[in-house]
Amino acid sequence: MKYLYVYPEKCTGCRECSIACSLSKFGECNPKKAAITVVRDEFNRYEFPIVCFQCEDPVCLKFCHQNAYHIKDGVTIRDEDKCIGCRLCAVLCPYNAVTTIDDEIIKCDLCDGDPKCVKYCSTGAIQYLDVTDELEKRRKKMAERFLEISKK
Amino acid sequence: MFNKKLGIIDLSKNKITIKQTPESLKWLFLGGRGLNSYYLYKMIKPGIDPFSPNNVLIFGSGFLTGTLVPNSSRFNVSSKSPETGILGDANCGGYFAAELRYAGFDRLIILGKAKKPSYLYVNDGKIEINDARDYWGMDTTEIQKNLKKNLGGVEAAVCGVAGENLVRFACVRTGVKNAAGRCGLGAVMGSKNLKAIAARGTKGIEISHPEEMLEVVEQLKDYIMNSKITSILGSVGTPLLYEVSNTLGAIRTKNSQLNAWSDSLNADVIETFVEKMISCSSCIVHCRHRNKLNGEGPEYTALGLLGANLGIDDPAQVIELNNICNELGLDISSSGTILAWAFELYENGIINKEITGEDLHFGDFELAKRLLYKISRREAFGDILAESTRNIKRFGEKSKDYLIAVKGLPQSDPHDCRYIKAFALGIATSSRGADHLRSRPTLEIFLNLPKEIKERIYGRGIPNDPTSYVAKEKTVYFSDNIFAAIDSLGICKFICHGFNSPHFVDYTWMKKLIHSASGWDFNEKDILEVGKRIIDIERMFNNREGISKKDDTLPKRYFDDPMSLKIAKGHHIDREEFNNLLLRYYKLRGWTNDGQVKNDRVKELEALM
Repeated sequence: MKYLYVYPEKCTGCRECSIACSLSKFGECNPKKAAITVVRDEFNRYEFPIVCFQCEDPVCLKFCHQNAYHIKDGVTIRDEDKCIGCRLCAVLCPYNAVTTIDDEIIKCDLCDGDPKCVKYCSTGAIQYLDVTDELEKRRKKMAERFLEISKK
Repeated sequence: MFNKKLGIIDLSKNKITIKQTPESLKWLFLGGRGLNSYYLYKMIKPGIDPFSPNNVLIFGSGFLTGTLVPNSSRFNVSSKSPETGILGDANCGGYFAAELRYAGFDRLIILGKAKKPSYLYVNDGKIEINDARDYWGMDTTEIQKNLKKNLGGVEAAVCGVAGENLVRFACVRTGVKNAAGRCGLGAVMGSKNLKAIAARGTKGIEISHPEEMLEVVEQLKDYIMNSKITSILGSVGTPLLYEVSNTLGAIRTKNSQLNAWSDSLNADVIETFVEKMISCSSCIVHCRHRNKLNGEGPEYTALGLLGANLGIDDPAQVIELNNICNELGLDISSSGTILAWAFELYENGIINKEITGEDLHFGDFELAKRLLYKISRREAFGDILAESTRNIKRFGEKSKDYLIAVKGLPQSDPHDCRYIKAFALGIATSSRGADHLRSRPTLEIFLNLPKEIKERIYGRGIPNDPTSYVAKEKTVYFSDNIFAAIDSLGICKFICHGFNSPHFVDYTWMKKLIHSASGWDFNEKDILEVGKRIIDIERMFNNREGISKKDDTLPKRYFDDPMSLKIAKGHHIDREEFNNLLLRYYKLRGWTNDGQVKNDRVKELEALM
């Protein structure tokens, strides 16, 4: 199984990942209408790509009262036909990885195994890699760090 | 692609008009610099005072700005320049222009003068003129932080204290260091009582052929990333060029009294001050240094003009001066040139303590720092220096012989143009004065580039000798045209064919990118024609302000003082050879021997509009 791994130290903040995501999903260039968001602040000096972790026990799935989410081959998928657009998933996701904008709910589906964000990243800040114990540890650490930051 | 609007803001009347830019105009000028120059020509009456409410200030994004197209972050700020009195225009990266488009606008045209300090808030299709009294007096970082705090995640273009105080070389700034630096456009903001434009938007840019854009960009990205120069620019940035010029003996040093300076400002030293390399919006090169001294930069321009030109060799001091200019909103190129000019005039006794109020000398960091603050507040001698090249009147005609400027604009390039003749022609003919980003055929600096490569780009008969005048009009003509086109597309020159590399985005790539975004079938020649049209209309603007052949010249020193050090030793510009080169350039452009756009062409272009 392959997942997205982020390397913020390599992220330069350009947002090609988000723009590629919005272009492939919606036919427009809009970094705010994407399943990946680069949180950046050049005055406070950070760049950080926020991606869906494809959680083992996903909050988006667990609390969806329409059962619009299911897990297929390790990827949490939203079924547009079942979704009524209540946005509960977006509100509850602890990583802010489900985006809502213009009545759209955008949840990363790893582009059927060919994630555009990875393809258009020029620095290797987002990578699509086979799961290894070491990478999983890193990914969990990243998630924990992110939760810590968002509590502040 | 065409869902973005034109906002016209009359600050005197407190009136906002929202329009659609006619597609026919985009066919002629694409966007960015091209359309801005069109509007300047159309809207500004000749002879007006740049600081009067009659001046027009334009913020225009490029045709492809904010898209997936690599390095499409750019916009142009344009106005009649208070520094030169002719066409004022500056290109800038960062995140502001993309955000302006996401907020629903391609371009803002600002007229009149607000009664009190104001800022514009552009948010999802709406424009507000708001009170900026609380922000007045803030430096460029402070105001941007405050706007972000008070309005949410905005991107802003602002003027600093220097702009408020009408320093004739105040810049417009966005982010920590991105500047529409040249021509004093920050002072035009100040003159209009306009402190900032803050933009925030959630509206995407509609793309005609999304799949095609994804494909073309994937190919272009691979092509650019595979070039050696990309990884060098992405790891050390423009400081790379310092060593290249210095090895040649072509770094402007102490107001061009010398032509080489210390290795202590080489890229490998600067690298030790870098915390991380970062990008502008959509950029895949990432040449911006986040430095360890709490700012961004320095670029090659700062190393040359705040280092070598001021006689300073400590990299930490140069970086600090760079950061100070950024905070105050001063153009680094003009700051470094004007200070060095004053230092030499003082050393030569052309100006004295009665004017300066203190001893001036090269190599004094504290003095340079103090003067930058004084300039920004127009205090004491700073008030005089803030007038930039206009000080020839105050300092006397003799002072002009020591000024490194063309058409009233201090030279931006730290490169001493006495050696490479094409560079000299470029700064002499550029539409905004002595500037390298209009037309510099950088490839001339790479002495080992095979002749065939140069001929393939510029045309036949280009000798592989940068000191030769032969056919160099062709190199400038080619660069002028393609840079005007790339500026209008909103793509950074760093990936423009012929700027840093003999490869990169040429007219064929532009054609593909334009098609994927808009569905428009431009061919290579159509885009070349856009470039030529822009150069002509900018010249028409300048001709109307009295510019002719007499103004397409060089600093006296470039003609009369041979360079003294290194490979460039003994080189200078020969007046007769230069004159002939200039005439050949005019001929190529179809201008008269006096450097005027011919009447037929003026009529043709005016009819098209």
